[in-house]
Amino acid sequence: MESTTISDILLSLIALLIFPGGLFLLFVGLAYEWIDRKLLARMQNRVGPRWFQPWADIIKLLAKEEVVPDAVDARLFIGLPIIALAGVLTAAIYIPFPGLPPVGSFPGDLIVTIFLLSLLTICLGLAGANTLDRFSLMGATRALTQLFAYEAPFLLALLGPAFVAGSWEINEIIGYTDGHWLIITQPFGFIVAVIGLIGKLEIPPLDAPEAETEIVAGALTEYSGRGLALFRLGKGVALVLGLALIAAFYLGGVATPLLFLAKTLALLLVIVGIHALFTRLRIDQTVGLWWRYGTLLVLVQWLGIIIWQGVMI
Amino acid sequence: MSEVGKRESFTVPIGPQHPALKEPEHFLISVDGEIVTDATVRLGYAHRGIEKAVESRTWVQSLYMLERICGICSHIHAMAYCLGVEQLAGVEVPPRAQAIRVLVAELERIHSHLLWFGVAAHEAGFDTLFMYTWRDREKVMDLLEGFSGNRVNYSVNVLGGVKFDIDDTQEIAIREAISFLEERTHHYLDVVTQDAMFLQRTRGIGVMTRSQAEVLGTVGPTARASNVYREIRVEAPYAAYDKYPVKIILDSRGDLEARFVVRLTELFESYRVILEILETLPDGDLTTRIPRRIKAGETVSRVEAPRGELFYFIKSNGSDTPERIRARTPTICNMMSVVKLLVGHQLADVPMILAGVDPCFSCNDRMVVLNRGRKMEQLFTWEALRQYGIDYYQRHSA
Repeated sequence: MESTTISDILLSLIALLIFPGGLFLLFVGLAYEWIDRKLLARMQNRVGPRWFQPWADIIKLLAKEEVVPDAVDARLFIGLPIIALAGVLTAAIYIPFPGLPPVGSFPGDLIVTIFLLSLLTICLGLAGANTLDRFSLMGATRALTQLFAYEAPFLLALLGPAFVAGSWEINEIIGYTDGHWLIITQPFGFIVAVIGLIGKLEIPPLDAPEAETEIVAGALTEYSGRGLALFRLGKGVALVLGLALIAAFYLGGVATPLLFLAKTLALLLVIVGIHALFTRLRIDQTVGLWWRYGTLLVLVQWLGIIIWQGVMI
Repeated sequence: MSEVGKRESFTVPIGPQHPALKEPEHFLISVDGEIVTDATVRLGYAHRGIEKAVESRTWVQSLYMLERICGICSHIHAMAYCLGVEQLAGVEVPPRAQAIRVLVAELERIHSHLLWFGVAAHEAGFDTLFMYTWRDREKVMDLLEGFSGNRVNYSVNVLGGVKFDIDDTQEIAIREAISFLEERTHHYLDVVTQDAMFLQRTRGIGVMTRSQAEVLGTVGPTARASNVYREIRVEAPYAAYDKYPVKIILDSRGDLEARFVVRLTELFESYRVILEILETLPDGDLTTRIPRRIKAGETVSRVEAPRGELFYFIKSNGSDTPERIRARTPTICNMMSVVKLLVGHQLADVPMILAGVDPCFSCNDRMVVLNRGRKMEQLFTWEALRQYGIDYYQRHSA
């Protein structure tokens, strides 16, 4: 560590704060949010937002007064959105975004990354539970219930590629998957991972935690200004990172930025299609879906991998 | 508010401002986890004093006032009123006018049912279906605008007839739109009976048995989805419905799916009636003369609005203004069934069950003072009412 120079530190800072993490990631997150909204609108026979709409939304929200309601812990209320966004931005360090090797890497960083992504949901749940608003409380309960439902299958689905690659380090896994389309050998894992991402980001049909017609905005009902903007930014970033992770693991790697763009956008198209086609699931149906089918599918797949490897040896 | 055991129950307020409700109404839902244990409703947020207002207007002016009770079924309100007043005055309306009234009423039923279908899909979180149904609904709105110039309050009726005639170009436009909508409705019927995800939210949800539906006094498609034989167009044909009979659509299942199926199947009846009217539209005048002063007397006018039976009581004292008009809209009849059905279901089903009766809250708010022998004079002068309002808000905004 003695050999670290000023320029090394500067480069690390740039990687963290400007490119590929930090500002660039926020920008891409909002761009993907726009693509998501526009595609959905076109599928629903609507015109959809113009290209700058997500940025305009965020700027407007950031400029608005943040109302801190009575009877909340103000520090938590303000701090949770920051922690959530910081969590997903930290996760970016270990993810091959945008088609470049991860900035940082150590054995077992896959687990750290997945839990950093979960931090967003946990912060969301805590933010809802922090207020006395009844819609927020219902939303928080549902968000955390959903977290417990999808987290284990999602984790198992992402560990499938790690298992065949023989490493829990993202950098090494993508080294293996580059050229190996695991979607063919592990189709169940891919399906569970995609639906897990939908659940993580609370995209319909798994949007029971923020079901508008039932509980208004769920856990975020009391958030108005900066907090809401930060949570939305966090979700945009989590969307990009989740897509990157799944594309890298299951769709033959994302070795170049062009491949990254093509594969993540194809995945996004699938997710938007699911969003447009299905009715919202109730929270009990969501939990049932995960524990009855999701987990079972992944476990069957794990069994398959283990038997296959046993046969090969 | 009831208490569950000794615990205080957790209540979720739906309304008066809530994304699930397009109009102000207040539902207080007590939940145990996600399960609804109790529900109450408070009506009256959109009371507009229309019944009182028509008493100071002439018979003709009242028509326009009453037409504005509902923004979705404006024609049927005017039609119920006109039929009643014409009956009181003892005038015979030309058959062509009656046929056009029925034609417009059926067009209105189509746009109302499609509107409801979209809203119900939205409550279930199926926004794609919502967007598609509302796109298709525009066809009907264009037709209504085509011959009246208005999309909402088309004001087709006058006392003694109708204002607008159907000419050849409109006939072609209506036929085109109907054939398009018929195809789309077949598709939607497939969606509500076959889409597995949608059926998870409708099949077996909010089941109302036939006896429940009768006891709770439900009307319209909500009652017919529980196999209750209740349809004014069939039971007491008015206007031209005796010449163009409709078939009653019944379903015995009584759940949300049945309510979807009944309403969508009713659309086919509407399409058929409209085409039949276009085939055999009688010639003749559009209006007949009606006296400015209506003979003293009282009458009841019942019509089948898209949501169910619409009831008008009209009383005349022989002058040029009504003595008393009472309008009872179908939503108020169906409201108790909602509160009853919610209990035992999940909070997520609340918007769906509520939408299942096709509520139109702003139409149903009337005020009745029950004076049970006590002295309850609550008459305000304008000044006193204004002062009361100022005091109230000063008291509550501290």
